[in-house]
Amino acid sequence: MKIVGLGPHGESASPPERVTLLPQDITAACAKKLRVAIVMHTLESNWARLLVQGVIGTLGECGAIVIDVVDCNFSSATQIDALDRLRKESPDAIISLPVNNTTVTEAHLAISEAGIKLVLIDNVPTGMLPGKDYVSLVSADNFGLGRIAAELLSDHLPQGAAAGVLAYDADFFATNEREIAFSRWMEVNRPDVAVKTATFSTIGDAGHEAAQLINDHSEIAGLFVVWDSPCIDVVRAVSKRNPIPPITTVDLGHEVAESLAKGGPVIGVAGQRPFQQGEAVARTTITTLLDRNCPDWVALPGLIVSRSNVIESYQTIWRKPMSREILIELNLLKSK
Amino acid sequence: MHKDKSASNNQRGKGRPRNSEVATASLVAVLNHVRLGQTTTRQDLERVSEYGRAIIADRLAILTELGLVNESETGVATGGRAPRRVQFTKDRARLVVVTLDQSAIGVGLADLSGKLLTEHHEAANITDQTKTVARIYALINWLMTRQSETPDLWGISISVPGPVLTDPNAAFLLETPNFLPSWDKSGLVEALMQRFDAPVWMNSNVDAMTMGELHGGTGIDQQTMLFIKVGQRIGAGLVSNGQPYRGAVRATGLIGQLPVTSGDTTGTLDAMAGANMIKARGTEAAQSGESAYLADLLLRGTDITAIEVCQAAQMGDAVSTEIIVQSGRIIGGVVATLANMLNPQLIVIAGSIAQTNDILLASVREAVYGASHPLVTRDLRILRSQMGNSAALLGAAGIAVSALFDPTFLKGWILLGSPTRHPDFLHGLETLGSITQQANDGAQAPPGR
Repeated sequence: MKIVGLGPHGESASPPERVTLLPQDITAACAKKLRVAIVMHTLESNWARLLVQGVIGTLGECGAIVIDVVDCNFSSATQIDALDRLRKESPDAIISLPVNNTTVTEAHLAISEAGIKLVLIDNVPTGMLPGKDYVSLVSADNFGLGRIAAELLSDHLPQGAAAGVLAYDADFFATNEREIAFSRWMEVNRPDVAVKTATFSTIGDAGHEAAQLINDHSEIAGLFVVWDSPCIDVVRAVSKRNPIPPITTVDLGHEVAESLAKGGPVIGVAGQRPFQQGEAVARTTITTLLDRNCPDWVALPGLIVSRSNVIESYQTIWRKPMSREILIELNLLKSK
Repeated sequence: MHKDKSASNNQRGKGRPRNSEVATASLVAVLNHVRLGQTTTRQDLERVSEYGRAIIADRLAILTELGLVNESETGVATGGRAPRRVQFTKDRARLVVVTLDQSAIGVGLADLSGKLLTEHHEAANITDQTKTVARIYALINWLMTRQSETPDLWGISISVPGPVLTDPNAAFLLETPNFLPSWDKSGLVEALMQRFDAPVWMNSNVDAMTMGELHGGTGIDQQTMLFIKVGQRIGAGLVSNGQPYRGAVRATGLIGQLPVTSGDTTGTLDAMAGANMIKARGTEAAQSGESAYLADLLLRGTDITAIEVCQAAQMGDAVSTEIIVQSGRIIGGVVATLANMLNPQLIVIAGSIAQTNDILLASVREAVYGASHPLVTRDLRILRSQMGNSAALLGAAGIAVSALFDPTFLKGWILLGSPTRHPDFLHGLETLGSITQQANDGAQAPPGR
């Protein structure tokens, strides 16, 4: 699938194959006895945990020691503290997912100013430049993910209906791209559909905001939530409504996958491939630590996941079988 | 669209009325000293501006009431009580910045210091004027609605893919200058001004990117810089004595029209080395099978553009590498001529072709170093821009800030608290409103009238 989005500075995407490690690269990396730290926005989501697995596994193959994995719990203060503390540990590289675009900028700049290689995941604080303030951004094609989610929801929207968008109110590259792309796809392909947007600042607010949005706009016939964790909250909030609006989201988390497999209310997912993204993050880190140039933006295409391919997509993304309960529900397994 | 928050602050409510009208010149001077960071305390301000203590106190009181400066923080004590820091209130309002490229739109929001706060870029075909303008509206609306409070909007600064000839003495635009043949009579400036109630500025992408690179990229603190943008068109920007060089009518750097020769073929630099040449030669190589890598992409339904050729070159595809090297050599030949004439400290190569790979940069370097006088290349650095299209947005913000706080324009609005209340701007809006009304009346008039 072609990458349709542009990077945070308007860059064209480079495929993850641009950061391939040859056996001699791995040998050279092992000889360096590298130390790397990972600072994530959260470790609570399935996506984050699998991405970190991809990073750690690939770094391990290259003989690089992961000295810390920090869960910032979406807190700027926690991330700033973690980056300050890790900077004093002088690792060779820090891999970070910045929690927003403003308050954590200085802490990230201090990493590169200290001569520590900084590889970013999914978000770039405004004003930071690739090759100068950080090595590369590695993300999914978030614009493409938003378009997939719009297209999947479109089939469930009657003529003249409205679509509700639950957007994240932090200035965050990945979720901004998804939100803008969803609205853009509707504008071009379903001009009859009005898009109504509400924002949430914490995952726990998303359900309340969704309910309020539907109360304010009774014409809403479907919802898009910008990632799966708040989507679960939205599913709970709207599940007692009649009719229950169809929902699309990004990331095939376990609960979203179950909802999709059972027939709703989640009717489609724009899937990321967090394990492969983690591998690409690690390969980018090793590539720069071997003093080779890296692309400004490495992007991975999304997966279109509907009920018809949820089982195989689940296996592709999570590398394990779907639960027996779901397999039985879908008549793919007879015995309990 | 936006109500100005300082509307109620125009008149002082109590105390002896200040002779503010005659104080305009000193207000402008004090604000610009503070805004440019030349001073951070009242004592420094007295020294730098050469105004007395009472005048400084009075002017700061007015500027504080207008929401343009604040003294809410304290500085470092040097013996006695810690002084209050005098700071420009850069968050008093926002600027919208837009960049149109041949294949992309970028939008952003900046504060009054010109710092970019947020930005978004997306692919677009800007040959369709109506759709592009609608998309610009939609993206500006998105930017504004995503702010926690709808900010005052003090200006919209646009960069476009073509030379923009404007009156250098005009504080802002009242009509859309011609910048691309397909955008004749687009009315973009007029429409934005009326829709968002804010002054509009327009510059070429190369001018805006040069400014952006100078203030936020590799050009920081450079006195002499040559900026080369390589895309479908190839253009140049020049910084001399730390300032952008504009030429007689702002038509500098149009090097894409220069004739160049490669082998038996002669053509313009744009045609011989730009993105269209790279795309055409890449497509030929894909269709003929000369490049297995590009042929495979074509087989999988991928359109071969200059970006695909650049990425293929970076992945080691020999045919693609040769295409990029040839482009780089031709561009390098022209750049060497400019370098020998201008003796820059720094040459920055920008644009999507340069950004996607290092091969173009390497071959430009080879050509420039090979064809230049040793004195020219002794301390010369040739670098790739790291800013991408953010350079255009940052540069557009810098251009808007310079225009807003230009002393001549500033004198006209400072006591009114906002450039959107400048008499010239209000008159311009009124005139545009009348023209629009007449056009609407004409469109509704019965035939034969």
